[in-house]
Amino acid sequence: MPVNAEKEITTLWRNLHNAQGEICKTFYRWREAALEIAGPDADETEVALKAIRVIGKDIGKSFLPRLNWLKGEEAFLMNLGRALAGIWANEGAITSVEKGEKEGEVFIKCTRDPWPTYAKEYGVPMEEVAQCREKLFQTILEDVSLFFNIPLAIEMLKAIPRGEGMYLFRLYKAE
Amino acid sequence: MAKQLFEWDYSSYPGAKKYPHLFKPIQLGNLIIPNRIKYAATEDNFNDPDGFITDADVAYMRARAEGVVGGLCFMQGVYMDEPRRGQGYVGQAAAWDDKFIPGLKRIADAIHGEKAVAGFQLMHCGRVGGVAVPYAHGPSYVPQRLRVFTPVQEMTKEDIKQCIKEHADACRRGIEAGFDVIEISGIVGYLISNFISSYTNRRTDEYGGDIRGRMQFAVEVIQACKEVCGDEYPLGIRLCAEELLDDVRGNTPEESMETYKIAEEAGVNYISVTAGWQESIVPVISRDVPMGSWIHLAKRAKEHVKVPVQMAYRLFYPDLPNEAIGKGELDMWEMCRPMIADPYMPKKILEGREEEIRFCVACNLCLARLFRDAPMTCYINPLCAHEHDENFYPKPVEEDDKKEVMIVGAGPAGLECAYVAAQRGHEVHVYDKREQLGGTILEASKAPYGDDELMTCINYQKVMCEKYGVQFHLGTEVTEELIQEEMPDTVVLATGPVYPQLKGKVAEGARIVNVLDVLAGRVEVGDNVVVWGNRKPGIGVALCLAKQGKKVTLVGKDKTAGFDVNPSFKWRYMIYLRQNRITAYNDCDIEEVGEGEVIVRTYDGYRFPVACDTVVISEREANEGLKQAVQSEGIELFVIGDALVPRNMSSAVHDGYRVGLRI
Repeated sequence: MPVNAEKEITTLWRNLHNAQGEICKTFYRWREAALEIAGPDADETEVALKAIRVIGKDIGKSFLPRLNWLKGEEAFLMNLGRALAGIWANEGAITSVEKGEKEGEVFIKCTRDPWPTYAKEYGVPMEEVAQCREKLFQTILEDVSLFFNIPLAIEMLKAIPRGEGMYLFRLYKAE
Repeated sequence: MAKQLFEWDYSSYPGAKKYPHLFKPIQLGNLIIPNRIKYAATEDNFNDPDGFITDADVAYMRARAEGVVGGLCFMQGVYMDEPRRGQGYVGQAAAWDDKFIPGLKRIADAIHGEKAVAGFQLMHCGRVGGVAVPYAHGPSYVPQRLRVFTPVQEMTKEDIKQCIKEHADACRRGIEAGFDVIEISGIVGYLISNFISSYTNRRTDEYGGDIRGRMQFAVEVIQACKEVCGDEYPLGIRLCAEELLDDVRGNTPEESMETYKIAEEAGVNYISVTAGWQESIVPVISRDVPMGSWIHLAKRAKEHVKVPVQMAYRLFYPDLPNEAIGKGELDMWEMCRPMIADPYMPKKILEGREEEIRFCVACNLCLARLFRDAPMTCYINPLCAHEHDENFYPKPVEEDDKKEVMIVGAGPAGLECAYVAAQRGHEVHVYDKREQLGGTILEASKAPYGDDELMTCINYQKVMCEKYGVQFHLGTEVTEELIQEEMPDTVVLATGPVYPQLKGKVAEGARIVNVLDVLAGRVEVGDNVVVWGNRKPGIGVALCLAKQGKKVTLVGKDKTAGFDVNPSFKWRYMIYLRQNRITAYNDCDIEEVGEGEVIVRTYDGYRFPVACDTVVISEREANEGLKQAVQSEGIELFVIGDALVPRNMSSAVHDGYRVGLRI
């Protein structure tokens, strides 16, 4: 059949990576616009965290129709962890989700994060990258927790904002 | 002393003999209802944006009132608060002020004009309300599962007290307007159900906690309304027997039955049993749910309360409720969608004209329209929402204007057009090259998940055609010569679509078959099937083949599969496609058909192979055949249904009806 698989895949791959890059760049371009409007006295990180809250709220809504408590607590938390990791993966990260040793605990790992590369390009402090990621996940969980009436929490255990090494998040059911 | 508003004697009617339990009286409070039939409150979005009743709503209700032949006829639920947090639909009727009473009275009078019992429903839409304001009201802030709904704000105790008062005030207005029965809506995600459900009520005050606490609001509303109704006006409530919200930890069935007992203790005179919420992730009322699936809930309710129990929910055929009432599992048969599709359904049952019933096909288009702020319409009843418009009724033609009409195609479009034109006095001849009536519905009805119900439309149209003297010429293919020979005054082309050929290269010997032949079982297909076309015909045949164990891939040009299916049903198909492991490549086309595979091309040019031994063509195009022949003879021409633009059965029926009125 006349399909050149290598050509099709490499073209698709290149376009995918460009689109993933645009996600990061678009966020930082809007960040610049917001900072210009907010004026010189604005706290840059505060503005970025506010923006990420808006994004997190919206993503959280899209989670609600897809999660199902009937699958049991373990499956629920794994699915939720996979959904959070999936957002990151769509942006170009390499992520994995593992069940924790304790019940009601899931770990999300990220071994490659594209955001620091673009943060550097736009002069964004590296600490803000990690803070934004944590805030994004926390905001998503707010509505999920309320909707299912389950106190869910997520904490960042490791952060390598230069995009190397590993991020580690612990997603768990809070007591 | 119980009273009866209107005298009805059904003894001489055939329907009363066939379905004796449907046509015997029942007492609700101190009111005797002559039969067991109820048109349940149904939103229609026909009213003024400010909540005033319109002519359209009055006419709509009058038709349903005639239909219930003396039974209960409820107008849509009203919202009761001036800030409009309880308003769930843009065209919902209001009752928050006395200024609405004259409009409401028009509906009560219209219902009484048909000697039916007028029902008035109080419906604060709770977390699915606030349609015209920034937020809705609920017992607790719990995010909405569906984006279509307004965010919820938690009610304060003052809000709760005010809301109870508003229920009582609206109840009084309903009675002053002339209604005979009052009903409180506590179902599907509306305010009272929000308070009752453990999913949406997280309060820790006296309105939350265990099921008694969560029922407290409902109890206070019942008591406030009961005080207004006294013994003279029966008061009922609609409550969920099963919320079907287990995935979000809603109430258990046992808790739901507890709510029934508490409502009865609080003083209601009947309970209407429902199932599911708008947020439930399981199907409740769509065509894929078998008839009578929920009747066990009414039976369960009867085991827990003494007051009469009413129920709708997939009880479309009269034998089901008749039997259930006879067995003591149900007391009254409610209907919404069946009487949207055919307002005179119970009347036809009574008069022994069951074959003339246009049955609802449970597509939920009516609901889809409401959720998109559009006036309700019906998939198969073109007159629905136009009851007030005299131009929508078939008018007899003058003797000199009578025409000989040739209709080519005996599908839903052609048959609809045929009986309407014949009803008006034209001489109508329907031709079809097949020996059977139904057109493509004959095959479409073979698809799984309840599509056999689509044939009820054809059965109805056949009966109506026979009633009005339509002449059938089956097994007759219409040709240019036949048109020249017959020279009718008007030709209506309802020939259905044509199925295009694949545009790309096709390997010699490639197996390419037509969707209709596959559905009818006229051809064999291999194990790896690619269906070309991702609209309803493609989905139907894909599901049918997947059920036979085939590996099916759907390839279509639309951005999403099921573009022609309304959203209230489409979500079912999306789930069934996943469950049956059907891969859908949307926004794609088939570029080439080779040996053992096809090349799929995405909208932006990527190409990939898909294993395939059979391609099923379900893409459709308009049918240009015979147009030239008719026009060249100077004959009046109409093209309808898929022959005009391939769409769905609803479009075919509506096209046919409208052209039937125009000829």
